[in-house]
Amino acid sequence: MSQKKATVLVVDDERAIQRFLRPSLEENGFAVLEASTGKSALDLVVARKPDVILLDLTLPDMDGLEVLSRLREWTSAPVIVVSARGQETDKIVGLNRGADDYLTKPFGVEELLARIRVALRHAERVARDPEPVYEHGDLKIDLTSRRVWLAKKEVRLSPLQYTLLAALVREAGRVVDQKRLLKEIWPEGGSTPEALRILVHQTRHRVEKEPVRPRHLKTEPAVGYRLESPDD
Amino acid sequence: MGFQGYAVAAAVAALCTAAGFALFPLVSLTDLVMVYLVGTLVVALRGWRGPALFSSLLGVLCFNFFFVPPRFTLHVEHSQFVVTFLVMFAVALIISHLAVRVRTQAEAAKRAEIVAETERLRSSLLSAVSHELRTPLAAIVGSASTLLQSAAPSRDLLLNIRDEADRLTRLIHNLIETSRLEFGASLKKELYPIEDVIGTALERVDKILAGRGVETDLPENLPLVPVDPVLMELVFVNLLENAARHAPEAALVVSARERMDHLEVAIADRGPGLKPEDLERVFDKFFRASAAPGAGLGLAICKAVVTAHGGTIRAENRPGGGAMFILTLPRKAA
Repeated sequence: MSQKKATVLVVDDERAIQRFLRPSLEENGFAVLEASTGKSALDLVVARKPDVILLDLTLPDMDGLEVLSRLREWTSAPVIVVSARGQETDKIVGLNRGADDYLTKPFGVEELLARIRVALRHAERVARDPEPVYEHGDLKIDLTSRRVWLAKKEVRLSPLQYTLLAALVREAGRVVDQKRLLKEIWPEGGSTPEALRILVHQTRHRVEKEPVRPRHLKTEPAVGYRLESPDD
Repeated sequence: MGFQGYAVAAAVAALCTAAGFALFPLVSLTDLVMVYLVGTLVVALRGWRGPALFSSLLGVLCFNFFFVPPRFTLHVEHSQFVVTFLVMFAVALIISHLAVRVRTQAEAAKRAEIVAETERLRSSLLSAVSHELRTPLAAIVGSASTLLQSAAPSRDLLLNIRDEADRLTRLIHNLIETSRLEFGASLKKELYPIEDVIGTALERVDKILAGRGVETDLPENLPLVPVDPVLMELVFVNLLENAARHAPEAALVVSARERMDHLEVAIADRGPGLKPEDLERVFDKFFRASAAPGAGLGLAICKAVVTAHGGTIRAENRPGGGAMFILTLPRKAA
């Protein structure tokens, strides 16, 4: 990403938000485009082809989810949905309609930058092959040999536990919603959200030093799970 | 009430007539008028204007038909009885009018009392909330304006802005969930490992805890419990924040145990503990032990949420000092 500045399109009708996002994004090496309506956002995406789109769901002229659906008809540029707490259903709908991730208002700059970087890296990686080895803190997962280490000690996992981790490694840094995980881990169906929660719980007790305060495998309440993005 | 009132008036007239037949041999004719007047009074006291009027009329008619000679006709022999009827009707009207008025005034007074009570609650809510909203806002505005004037940004002021804004966010979240519950929103209960819910709460209060230790004692094989994850997370956030605020030094302890038909979770601190008389009151809305900051909403919503889950919550003083909040959650959905 050193060659050219990545462009972020911020779609939000609140001036206060725009005013804080522009300098923080520019300071961190991004070019910023702004749109305050759904229509101007769609026009800007056509004209300027931003690398990442930050889409607030509450817009004056149209539903943010509608904007997302229209975008997905012809562009695969990563979209990060921004919404308030309590709109968990909207987040899930957003993810199902092709959003890459979401941010909950209010959010800090660190969180915003982390999401944008993950989205960019992911868009890049889809073009190439996935990284075969995931490392984050004391956790290491090798997708080629199907082995997992915690603090340099190999961890024994059941096949389901490994499948869960592998599914999350492929999306490392991004939220993966519950429905999708269920489909990936139990492709023939017949499982339940409870079974997934138990599986996550057991996996945490294998790969987290302090399972109640997970450092790698995070819960996104009412949406799904996220494996922290790998160390650089 | 329309039809019912008239039915009651008719029934009362029938009763008065029956009483009249019983009394007829014993008392003078004019005394029977009193019986009908009492009947009208009874109807009027229910607050029904129309039926009271109807009752007055019915009283006069029954009195005439059943008792005034010639009996069992509406025909009147002596003209003096016409005066009796008129007076009887007039008295009945006045009685019913007064009785209805007493009744409506009593109702109005009761309504005014309810309004006053709501008003009082609303104003205490407003003062608590506006104080809670203004304090962080004052800190934010003050810090920001100082930063605007100074050449170099001060990390302390920036931290102040962020932390106070976080505090506002939590308060607003509490208010929204409180009103959601009060409007009778239903819980979205699903089976969760309690460790998962406690974990997201711990992450949310990370900044408030500022690196201080939280010991956890959660066996791996605890049963899942049916909870609304968003609301239950709020319960743990409030309990942890409360403990952090009142017991600023030593580590907090979060533990859970499986019981017969429920799960028991305890959050304990080593703060000053609670006065015995406060152990129950801490869960009241707007109650604040000591002068510590807070709107007195946090524990009230904990109780509302836990109760809505069919569980219980109580406060105890720990042996060796400190307070402990213990909540139970049923293992099966109610």
